[in-house]
Amino acid sequence: MNIALLTIALVLAITSLSVKQSIASLISFALMMLVLGLYYIGLDEKLLGLFQIFIYTGGIAVLMLFGITLIGREFPKTTKSSWSAVVSFGVFVLMSALFLTNRSLLATNVPEIVEKKEMFATSFSDVVILFALIGVSLLYGTIKMINALKPKRSRDV
Amino acid sequence: MFEIDMIFAFALFSVGLYGISSNRDFLRIFFSLEMLMNAVILMLASSAHYLGLSQNISFAYMIMILATLEAAVGILIFAAAHKFTKVVIADDLGAQK
Repeated sequence: MNIALLTIALVLAITSLSVKQSIASLISFALMMLVLGLYYIGLDEKLLGLFQIFIYTGGIAVLMLFGITLIGREFPKTTKSSWSAVVSFGVFVLMSALFLTNRSLLATNVPEIVEKKEMFATSFSDVVILFALIGVSLLYGTIKMINALKPKRSRDV
Repeated sequence: MFEIDMIFAFALFSVGLYGISSNRDFLRIFFSLEMLMNAVILMLASSAHYLGLSQNISFAYMIMILATLEAAVGILIFAAAHKFTKVVIADDLGAQK
């Protein structure tokens, strides 16, 4: 189940970068974030999953929608550099090889659980501060975006 | 299972890296940046779950807030650049000086 969710997320990530239509790209981006949020909920990190869904699928996707109003239905045609695929694949292979060769070090040096998973259970004020920071930043971006999109008034009135 | 999670996180990181290095328009660069940050969050969450490093979840929340701030400010810069120069491609912005 977890592997299926991660595979879907990866396919949606590649789709969001390869599709020409901007709306389809945004939808696949939001779906990818939703699938990752569901995966975190499946990992028993429910608050992280809910944060992921609220912030990315809710907030950032709407901000990106504002950006799409400037671009239009399709992304502008640009030249793509040929070396970027090779470099990114090389980085993937390098990171995977480093991780798989040093996996035994990770397994032996696992510390005991330092704290219980009660980070937000004792005081809800932490959650309120986090949500307030995120909400204020999203609201600030949205208001400034609306102001930037407004047409200029003529000064000779 | 932890290894599979990490391999998927590396793959997501590579996709984001490919998106940043190959695309020139602002919106796809933002998508790729969010993918990079989500790959790191995935690594932190899976290591917290499988290795018991529960303090990694705090770092994941911090990265999530930073990603929100970055998206808000980045879209704002894009909107301002588009308002004054009508540019939607990052490379063309330097030529508008």
